[in-house]
Amino acid sequence: MAVVKVDKLARSVAEGPSLMTGAFPKQDWMDVPAVFKPGNYAYPTKPEKLKYLDSQQGVSFPNAREWNPEDDDWKLPENWKEIIIKGIADRLDRFRSLKIFMDCCVRCGACADKCHFFLGTGDPKNMPVLRAELLRSIYRQHFTKAGKILGKLAGGREMTYGVIKEWFMYAYQCTECRRCSVFCPYGIDTAEITMMLRELLHLLGIGINWAMEPVSNSNRTGNHMGLTPQAFKGNVDFLCEDIENLTGVKVNPTFNRKGAEVLFITPSADVFAEPGIFTCMGYLLLFEAIGLDYTWSTYASEGGNFGLFTSNEMMKKLNAKMYAEAERLGVKWILGGECGHMWRVVHQYMDTMNGPADFLEVPRSPITGTVFENAASTKMVHISEFTADLIKNGKLKLDKSRNAHVKATFHDSCNPARAMGLLDEPRYILDNVVEQWWEMPENTIREKTFCCGSGTALNTDEIMELRMRSGLPRANAVKYVQEKHDVNTLGCVCAIDRATLTTLMDYWVPSVQVAGLSELVGNALVIEGENRQELDEGLRTLV
Amino acid sequence: MELTEAFTEKRKEILSLWVERTLNSYTSPGFFKKAKDPFANPVGVNTSDALHSIYDLLLSNAEPEAYQKPLDTIVRIRAVQEITPSQAVAPLLELKWVVKQVLKSDRKTSSLLADLDNFDCEVDRIALIAFDIYTACREQVYRGRIRELKSGSYLLTDSACPSALLKEEQKSQSESN
Repeated sequence: MAVVKVDKLARSVAEGPSLMTGAFPKQDWMDVPAVFKPGNYAYPTKPEKLKYLDSQQGVSFPNAREWNPEDDDWKLPENWKEIIIKGIADRLDRFRSLKIFMDCCVRCGACADKCHFFLGTGDPKNMPVLRAELLRSIYRQHFTKAGKILGKLAGGREMTYGVIKEWFMYAYQCTECRRCSVFCPYGIDTAEITMMLRELLHLLGIGINWAMEPVSNSNRTGNHMGLTPQAFKGNVDFLCEDIENLTGVKVNPTFNRKGAEVLFITPSADVFAEPGIFTCMGYLLLFEAIGLDYTWSTYASEGGNFGLFTSNEMMKKLNAKMYAEAERLGVKWILGGECGHMWRVVHQYMDTMNGPADFLEVPRSPITGTVFENAASTKMVHISEFTADLIKNGKLKLDKSRNAHVKATFHDSCNPARAMGLLDEPRYILDNVVEQWWEMPENTIREKTFCCGSGTALNTDEIMELRMRSGLPRANAVKYVQEKHDVNTLGCVCAIDRATLTTLMDYWVPSVQVAGLSELVGNALVIEGENRQELDEGLRTLV
Repeated sequence: MELTEAFTEKRKEILSLWVERTLNSYTSPGFFKKAKDPFANPVGVNTSDALHSIYDLLLSNAEPEAYQKPLDTIVRIRAVQEITPSQAVAPLLELKWVVKQVLKSDRKTSSLLADLDNFDCEVDRIALIAFDIYTACREQVYRGRIRELKSGSYLLTDSACPSALLKEEQKSQSESN
């Protein structure tokens, strides 16, 4: 047995700053290197996935290789520095927003304490201002007069191997949730800076598999999981059987049907993974109840667009497939399910990337006659807007007591809240389908909502601790309403939320389950001719 | 002055130093120490509240079960942060140093340093409860990982999919034959 060095132990306890609690040496941020160890990084992209993507039209993903973030040598191409500087120049030229974001920050610090990654880690490089500074310092050094002459004095720094590693660390400790930009007096969209960092890293073949494999699958078969059309349809059929067993209602969805009025697109996770499948059962019941003339597509079988977390071109390509399919099927408009970032792509990028979708009609609800002017250009309506309109016009028979087991609160999913302003429709739906629900504290909801901590393809298990600490601000607010009001259900409108908040709640607030709003609608729906069993837990009841 | 009296009188001073040193374990602790809104600053406020509760429980000679909630609050946070297991529970042991520091700096209380044996034992006891909680938290994180893998998401990374592993095994077997 080793001899215990009592004097050393005593000293570590007795002297400050504390060695025992692991106080960190305070250094200038530029001098603190990124250190990779198991648990603090997501696995790199598999070379075969990258090679496949690089072979596809309209996108470029060079330098596929095996590499390990923990190694000193990341096997970068020889001219990596040149590639990066050229990559920045190219993007500054193409995106005026980037140029403005690089120049206009006055480092007021309003964003600094608004990021859930900073709040969960205390790591200054997770302050949005400093995360942006990781790129801005290189921009200053190479693209501004002051930086070229004065270097570090003007806030510039050399582009080194260490900077690449730092970028990889912190571009993947940002979920592009855009909470920080709500507080920025200049409206700097820090998410777009993260997007640029990720794009630049892709020039060197640096990316994460949890983003790129879904991207590759979506490009190939139309959904993240790479489900074939048969498997996709099979899963939906399976859910239809469950619905019939539970409610006695026979639903008959159609697939790839030309001439349907509406094309319905939702995250593929709704079709195969709990608790999303209950949300999907809610959609199916709702459409049956109102007799909607709609079709699923087994090709545009994914609402999610991990291209947003990857590169501009990739996002554009994956978004285009939804519209190509709408055109092929000859539908009038698109109805979108409970997805998060799909709505950011549709509302903020689609129109200039692939729009306007002139071959479609301005969406008009065939049931209520409401015209969705807000979607006049994108031709795509959110299921919560659609459902709220049905309720408002008295087209749904809802029995709140069927949700008697639910004491809800509502998590504004980042993208629907901040990127499309979907704030009141979900609340209106909740008012009508559950007997009781409570808001979380004001600074954690609506535009100021806290991210689940696992967005932008960070919903992978190898970084579970990172997800738990970055999800703490969200969970902390849920815990408050759980303790105060005995809340047991966290409602949301995003597939990544449904999957990852479930794990987050299990760790921080174990008595709370996660449910898509359409699941709660499905629970409460009274449908003519139904033969509903006693469903103590709604559509989740095991019978 | 009696020890209990000193603990009550020095409560504010002890807690202030204890919270300060605990939050100093973060790289950039300024905000954690300053912001008082529990929803804007969950790490700082929860840590501070938990340390206050633990101290008051010590003062009132509470039963071990009573420590569970505040210890869980602080340890659950530290169990998923980038610190070593020992650092995760170290703040609790550090209370001993904090108390000695505060008591010896005042002439009225410095003589009490020799009477701290029982107090030290109590602190050790709560540190051991914290260690149990830490382990339970870590196990919960791993169970969460397993649950996610089993829930179907593994299809994304075929490495963990049993049928993919089986295929690989069959392939390597047929190659070796």
